[in-house]
Amino acid sequence: MLNFIARRCATGLLMLVALSVLIFILLRLAPGDPIDAYINPSVPMSTSDLETLRDRLGLDQPLPLQYLAWLLAAATGDFGYSIQRSGVLVLPLVMERIGPTALLMGAGLVIAIIVGIATGIYSAVRRNAWPDIAMSVLSFVGISSPAFLTALLGLYFFSVLLRWAPSGGMQTAGAPFSAADVLAHLILPACLLSIGHAALIMRYMRASLLEVLNQDYVRTARAKGVREFWVIIKHATRNALLPVITLIGSTIGIAVGGAIFLESVFNWPGMGLLLVNAVGTRDYPVIMGATLVIGACVILVNILTDVAYAFVDPRIQVS
Amino acid sequence: MRIRSLAIAAALLIGTGLPTIVQAQSPKTIAGGFDVGPGGLPKNFNPLISTGGFTWLSTYYEPLLLWNAGLTELEGALAKDYKVSDDKLTYTFNLAEETWHDGKPFTSKDVKFTFELAKNKASGSLFAARLGDIASVEAPDDRTVMIKLSKPNGSFLSIISQVLILPEHALASIAPESLANSTWWSTTPVGTGPFKFNRYVTDQYVELAADDDYRGGKPKVDVLINRYFENPAAAVAALRAGEIQFTYVEPDDAASFKTDANFSVIEGDSYVVNYIGLNQKVELFKDLKVRQAIMYAIDRNAIIESLYGGAAKPANCGYVAPHLIPEGLDAYAYDPAKAKALLDEAGWANINGDKPITLLTYYGSPQAANVMAAVQSMLAQVGINVVPRVVDTPTYNGIVYKEGTPDWNEFAMVYAGLQNGPNPAGLNPGLNKSQIPPDGFNTMRIEFDGLSAAFDKALGETDASKLDAAWQDVCKAMNAELPWATLWVANRYGIASTRLKDFVWTPAPAGGPYAAHPERWDIQ
Repeated sequence: MLNFIARRCATGLLMLVALSVLIFILLRLAPGDPIDAYINPSVPMSTSDLETLRDRLGLDQPLPLQYLAWLLAAATGDFGYSIQRSGVLVLPLVMERIGPTALLMGAGLVIAIIVGIATGIYSAVRRNAWPDIAMSVLSFVGISSPAFLTALLGLYFFSVLLRWAPSGGMQTAGAPFSAADVLAHLILPACLLSIGHAALIMRYMRASLLEVLNQDYVRTARAKGVREFWVIIKHATRNALLPVITLIGSTIGIAVGGAIFLESVFNWPGMGLLLVNAVGTRDYPVIMGATLVIGACVILVNILTDVAYAFVDPRIQVS
Repeated sequence: MRIRSLAIAAALLIGTGLPTIVQAQSPKTIAGGFDVGPGGLPKNFNPLISTGGFTWLSTYYEPLLLWNAGLTELEGALAKDYKVSDDKLTYTFNLAEETWHDGKPFTSKDVKFTFELAKNKASGSLFAARLGDIASVEAPDDRTVMIKLSKPNGSFLSIISQVLILPEHALASIAPESLANSTWWSTTPVGTGPFKFNRYVTDQYVELAADDDYRGGKPKVDVLINRYFENPAAAVAALRAGEIQFTYVEPDDAASFKTDANFSVIEGDSYVVNYIGLNQKVELFKDLKVRQAIMYAIDRNAIIESLYGGAAKPANCGYVAPHLIPEGLDAYAYDPAKAKALLDEAGWANINGDKPITLLTYYGSPQAANVMAAVQSMLAQVGINVVPRVVDTPTYNGIVYKEGTPDWNEFAMVYAGLQNGPNPAGLNPGLNKSQIPPDGFNTMRIEFDGLSAAFDKALGETDASKLDAAWQDVCKAMNAELPWATLWVANRYGIASTRLKDFVWTPAPAGGPYAAHPERWDIQ
């Protein structure tokens, strides 16, 4: 097992280096560099000004040298400074964004799971009754609504018109930090993030439960005189949840995409907002740092999943 | 029962707690999107490397001189007054009594330190080239500064209005090479302005506190907040939700506020002339007749009326300020028949015909898209087939500044803008033949002798009484030679809550700085 973990870690490291080369090349192939992002085309600057900027950022060095310098520094944990932010180190900047993104994604998924499973069960139990039909229609609307639409509509109705929630940010500007304040800012983007996922989970839960409710063991439970509530909850739902859990796992990746968009609309200071900003300003060090941290997280999760499978299912041989 | 209790508790939290949390701002506070829009530069704290954002920076730093709110003349800030020697080579500034936010006295040594730092390329300063004419900075006593130039420079005072004075006692110990990456700028900066830096919450907002000892009087509000937004639309949402009291808005949004009694619309000249740039490295535009045809083919008044709601001035040269416009300019009134005739004379059918020509722009707003579509349609009517291409600013700059031999056809035509005031010299880098890359900003590679000579003459003019006439000659040359198809100078907009009192904002290029007097701003 230890050999397996060591081998996977070594492969992961190589993948990270390959990823860094790929991002480095792609960034340089994209039109415009950080200096181009810094120039306001309406405000005249001299070439001498531009040279000053280029010299300061080391962008006048040959590309292989730039990459090697970056790699050697990164190996020691030094990802350099953000180009567009004076004096801000990349690694702390990236690390402090993981928490807000995890909070937004986590809250959105928790809401989606609770709402999706509850409405899915209710819909299956009341099959073809009007609540089932109404929830089915709503779920189709939820699945079909793109994140940018729900985010903007939600922002307009709940922040601008009704003023139930702040329009953006993670805390009230100027107010001291408090968990309640963060919660107030979290609730709207998290609810909006959950809509599509809740709708999908609801559809899966309904279909799965309907299938299970026709199984013999459910009929047996009823015949034994078990109350209907417990038949649904203990006997049917537990079995119906298995495919839903698989679905939830696979939607986490999609949730990252939705979170990135919502972070932009709601100015939520997570990885998504950081990356969108960095790409828009061609902030190479931040793009490299953020992408590598995300890549490292994905590789780590994959390794942990493989190891967990090996522990849980003895039929899987790690060798 | 337990579930019901939890539900009631949750309802109470949502029903009563959250609105209280959202509105919790006990000190008298003004919050705004001061870095939203083309004049802003969000998340930049170092005035030496700023290409914008001076509206916000000048709430806690100050220059020696700044523009008045109408952007018509310069007035004193940290300099109470100034004198210029007869030979226009020595500027003597009489400094105001002031203290830095950390209590240390502000003196002429700080001014000397700042200008020497701004001239030093090692500090990353973007002023190094523009301050190149400074021969020496002397501080004969604590309240006097003498700046000597190596040659007269008519733009000198305008340039130094963006040099925000920095504290020598706080920065002298940091090597110039390390200054750009110093955390001082965003953690513990000290200035002399009416507000002092309190904190920066990364990518969210900056909070300033009133400087009670400010020489202009104690500020009327306790806290000033600059919130960051990804785009003007997000700032508009925050404004309508009552979370901020001011922001820049796009013209379309401004129209929706005009009938709302809770807001006042602030409208002002953008000081940016919009134009269709005609790349002189592309053979198509070497013939003056073709350039004239483009001017006659575009119905600028119709576009201004329909897409700008009349809030733009047609430009027949790079300027629209009355004192810079000479008599007898050709107005190039919309005349598609004349345009067609000129194209026929130029042999357009042979030199290009209906082959597509790229019209590149970095303007990404819906209004700009409509302008591009209108221009495309009007040019198509006379037989010029342009294909609009919208890219982001870095991509645009990457294309037009590309070193070596760029693909000229990639930016054969551009829809762009350039600062034309308050200092008219702003157009020189984009039009003078001496400014062709890699030596300057003339990305359309315009090499018109008459125009360049007019610019050189105006830039070298030190007699204030002859200055307007010199810039009028530039206008005349532009109107005759048509280096660009000049379009208009549009208005820009800010929206302020009617709760704000004595609030001053103007859409100055790069955000100013100008005399906004933030110490007088109040909120009801």
